[in-house]
Amino acid sequence: MRVLWNELKKILTWKMLFLLVLLNSVLYFFLIEFDIEHFPNGRPALDSYNIGIEMIEKYGTHMDEEEFLDFKQAYDEQVKEADQYLQSRREFVEAGLVTYEKFKHFDRDNEELNALHSKVMFEEKEVNTFWELQERERLIEFYDMKDELRGYDNAQQKQRMEELIASKKYGVYPEVVIMNFRDFIGNVTIAILFSVVLVISPMILKDRSRQMLALQYTSKKGRNLFKTKILAGLISTFSVITALLIVYFGVYSLNDTSMYFDVPINTFIGNASWYDPTFFQYILLCVAAIYLIGFVFGLLAMSFSSFVPNSMALIGIQIPFIVGMIIVIGGPLMRYIISIWNPQWLAPTVYSGMIVISVIFIILLWRREKNRDIVL
Amino acid sequence: MILVKDISKQYGDFTALENINLEFTNGLYGLLAPNGAGKTTLIKMLATLIAPSKGEILYNGKNIVAMDEDYRSLLGYLPQQFGFYKNYTPKQYLLYLAALKGIGKKEALDKIDDLLEKVALREVTNKKMKKFSGGMIQRVGIAQSLLNDPKILILDEPTAGLDPKERARFRHLLTELARERLVIVSTHIVSDVETIANEIIMIKNRQLLYKDSVERICATLDGHVYETTIPYEQLETYRRQFVLLSEKQERGSMVIRFIHKGEAEANWLPLAPQLEDVFLYEYRDDIGEEV
Repeated sequence: MRVLWNELKKILTWKMLFLLVLLNSVLYFFLIEFDIEHFPNGRPALDSYNIGIEMIEKYGTHMDEEEFLDFKQAYDEQVKEADQYLQSRREFVEAGLVTYEKFKHFDRDNEELNALHSKVMFEEKEVNTFWELQERERLIEFYDMKDELRGYDNAQQKQRMEELIASKKYGVYPEVVIMNFRDFIGNVTIAILFSVVLVISPMILKDRSRQMLALQYTSKKGRNLFKTKILAGLISTFSVITALLIVYFGVYSLNDTSMYFDVPINTFIGNASWYDPTFFQYILLCVAAIYLIGFVFGLLAMSFSSFVPNSMALIGIQIPFIVGMIIVIGGPLMRYIISIWNPQWLAPTVYSGMIVISVIFIILLWRREKNRDIVL
Repeated sequence: MILVKDISKQYGDFTALENINLEFTNGLYGLLAPNGAGKTTLIKMLATLIAPSKGEILYNGKNIVAMDEDYRSLLGYLPQQFGFYKNYTPKQYLLYLAALKGIGKKEALDKIDDLLEKVALREVTNKKMKKFSGGMIQRVGIAQSLLNDPKILILDEPTAGLDPKERARFRHLLTELARERLVIVSTHIVSDVETIANEIIMIKNRQLLYKDSVERICATLDGHVYETTIPYEQLETYRRQFVLLSEKQERGSMVIRFIHKGEAEANWLPLAPQLEDVFLYEYRDDIGEEV
């Protein structure tokens, strides 16, 4: 236990923690801040977000025909409200825009009407009606198309869409929250993977280049220390991922999306998936995926650290590797981990493959370490 | 007892050691050879850091590699070059290594105090090692090799970086330690082991040359070591004809110590051979045919 603790102390030094904070501050401002500061990002995203909450509060996580009629009725009432608003404003009456229908289909070539339209949409921030109506119309349109197959590339996707329609899991809830979460979690994954590699990469190389091995491997613990170092590396990986997830999800909580947690992800617009978790379960799935990729990156970083000759070579290998992996993993394997736009087998196969490869790497390196001559 | 049986070591086409057979019991052994002769290879094999290409090393009849941690528990080892964490103090560093050696923290703390006293580093127990001189680092290295009170102590060039006073102190420490354990000291500095080693081991051309007491090794040159005074102009001739062991200027002439295995001249003073003479003779560069 003392040996393990000592190895952990060697990895998680104050200097390393400072670098970790620095790296994450930079990555936060470059990648993550936007998804927090600008959520919902303008209009109609804000209206989409608000209407989504209203739908969840009124209809729960599924909307049936009767509830849809209620939703439509709410729309009709808001149209009347818009009519009244327009009729109460002299400039709109003079311009002939006395109903919402007319307002919606105004002559865009007419500069005076354009100015009036812009005034109510963009300048009078307290008037939400017209933005909300626009969003409600979009949602109604999606509900009206709920039984249609909206494009597919292959038989499996078609079959899955048919299954979803048959089980009435229609994509009708506003997607603004899940789209924001996807961008957020994709960027958080990048920050976490860079952090794991930063912390783990030097650990084995440092002892080797400092010529510590001769003393370590002739002690009672001997070459088994390599295994303890791997364990310390995995614990450090877990600690770094957990700490960063706590921080980043703490920041994410500012987006206030918990009302959406029970909504099945298949009922968000354009979000057909192979499986049917709720939004919260989807978040947990992404967290699990981050841990998994983090451990794979940690193990591979330790592997590289075990055989590269020096720090420059380590950086030379790690940077293209991380960037390449993030390009491959970031999209299909994190943001769209269970989306039907990727083959159903892709994520489980790639994740299992990565685990198997990294474990094989470590086993081979352990066998090499057990028998190799410590010449320097 | 350690038995080195028919050990050879090859790195690709390069042979570092060939058919080495040795036996070590308690006492102090000086492994003496010039740099690059294979001392460190042999030492590293004894420390299980390098595996022999051929042969095996036995401790009390058991293969040291198969003994695994049972062998390493008995071992204290100081490598020729060893690493340290520059932000650690000697105390932290020794505690780290004590944990690897399976020594409990409390026991280690007592032992560390004692050892730092022995190597005269007590005052800097809690100072960061990054500020230490080479000699101080070497003394920390010596202390770590003694942490587990080893039965077998292997020291590779232990006096590197030590000043004459520290060397003398170290020799006393070794003499004390060798009374009840096996100590193997690898060095290319004859004076490190000449007066304290029970036996000297010399390796030449990848093979064992001598494993014997200092007296018996010196006896191989009995009657062949001379001293004489010559004019400076003759120095080059002597250098070509004999193995010169030392040269010094004295009152405008040269006093030389040399080896000659034939008939002596009248003005040559015969001397008792020293270990350094054997060392210089055996590891000499190409010498004229006279010797």
